[in-house]
Amino acid sequence: MFRLSAGVLTVALICALGIAGAASSPNEQLPAGAMQEKASAACLTCHEARIILQQRLGKPAWTREMDKMVKWGAVVDPQDRDALIDYFSANFGPDQPAYVATKSSGAPVMKSRSKPKH
Amino acid sequence: MTSRRDFLRTASAVALAAGVARPFRAWAADLSAVSVPGKDGMIVRSYRFLDLETPVEFMTEWLTPVNHFFVRNHMFEPAKVDASKWKLTIGGQVEKPIVFTLADLEKVPVHSVTNAMECAGNGRTLQNPKVPGIQWGKGAVGNAKFSGPSLKVLLEKARVKDTGKHVMFRGLDEVPGKVPPFVRSIPLEKAIDADTLVATHMNGAALTQHHGFPARVITPGWAGAASCKWLTEITVLDKPAEGNFMSPGYRMPNAPVKPDEAVKPEDTHSVTGLTVKSLIAAPSDTAKLRPGKQEIKGVAWAGEADITKVEISTDGGSSWNLTELGKDHAKYAWRLWSYAWKPAKSGDYVILSRATDSQGRIQPEAAVWNPSGYLYNAYDQVKVHVQA
Ligand code: HEC
Repeated sequence: MFRLSAGVLTVALICALGIAGAASSPNEQLPAGAMQEKASAACLTCHEARIILQQRLGKPAWTREMDKMVKWGAVVDPQDRDALIDYFSANFGPDQPAYVATKSSGAPVMKSRSKPKH
Repeated sequence: MTSRRDFLRTASAVALAAGVARPFRAWAADLSAVSVPGKDGMIVRSYRFLDLETPVEFMTEWLTPVNHFFVRNHMFEPAKVDASKWKLTIGGQVEKPIVFTLADLEKVPVHSVTNAMECAGNGRTLQNPKVPGIQWGKGAVGNAKFSGPSLKVLLEKARVKDTGKHVMFRGLDEVPGKVPPFVRSIPLEKAIDADTLVATHMNGAALTQHHGFPARVITPGWAGAASCKWLTEITVLDKPAEGNFMSPGYRMPNAPVKPDEAVKPEDTHSVTGLTVKSLIAAPSDTAKLRPGKQEIKGVAWAGEADITKVEISTDGGSSWNLTELGKDHAKYAWRLWSYAWKPAKSGDYVILSRATDSQGRIQPEAAVWNPSGYLYNAYDQVKVHVQA
């Protein structure tokens, strides 16, 4: 079993405030699927998922992205490369509906319970 | 706020909590906003690394307030720089390599430039077919007054050698993994233009963390990538800098290419000055309007050139009307414009805007597609519905 660290409690609190309308978890996640876990491990160490979720690319472009990110330090088992390219192409291909971005709130997390100005 | 250190501290906690957070977010989405202290109502293109876009509806003021100015980061922001320890070095092809502290910079005369800064990739998502990169909508642009020493004055103190032809900048961005560092250079002629700055202030206040505290380059009229943030090292070179962010990064084909066509490096050029462009800030796209007088307004800029006119079409491009230009203007700054419109009858309208500049460039109906989605500048467009 693991003990709850201060960090986990803080994040749990942020999530609770998010439900109350103050702030959501800032880092997005990758979609469900057989490759979700491996993709998350390989691709979310430098940046969070938004940078991936917003792309609408065909398979050749996803292949170039994968190879570029591996060159830049993403750790991908060569056996998983093709399945990862398929996972990204299927979820973020040119025909998928546009990604809808969230807005920022300028107040610090714990004090942002007042209504947003805009 | 999103330095590597912060991330490592919270990463595991976020991973554990994410599973809990997701199901709730589905119904809480409208209420949720991502907290970015000091940045309000911005479109979060990426949280880590931080990339924030200004909603076009905010573009009704000549000077963009810092809390509404777009943010473009290629990698992690440095942990907050200790101003008393910060140093700026000038080396390379110079007679006398030199080190400045912030106190040294404060002794150099201050020069100010009001600059419409735009990311080279602004409008990328409007390109078809889509290309990889931050999917900016219209708002990776802002207009602010930047102040600090002219870079020229600092270079004069280091005495550039005859062999010095290009000036390279390095910031304190934290580079993850084997990612190439964000280093780029500009030609010496642009570097010694009195309006090219090592800015310490933005709209009259010290630079904030997201905008490069304590000092950044301002290369006015050029794409934002030429304005290195968290500046710490200037190197004078005999040729342009090398590396990913000089090539293939920030390069465009010399002639239009088809989406799947391979482009040879020698058939490309570096993105430098911005093009001519206007945006409609009001009314908003998809707005429902009442009949009667309406104000159509927005902004227009042209890099190193001046805006000479902005025209509006309310009939999808069949006829064009001159707008009134705002009284505030300065070299490199954007220009506000407005047009009083009284729709003749109820119905759907397509409003277009088109700018012309002092070099005779006209914002085109369609932008030239390019593999990295740079310098998109087609007519701006909003669709509105007028109903009594
Ligand atoms: C070692 C750090 C690192 C890892 C690991 C990483 N990336 Fe990236 N990624 C970057 C950086 C840095 C950028 C942004 C470059 C910029 O903004 O110029 C980026 C940008 C992107 C982009 C935007 C398009 C582009 O090329 O700029 C996509 C898509 C992307 N990454 C996908 C992935 C995928 C998929 C993985 C996993 C296979 C991954 N990344 C793993 C560092 C990383």
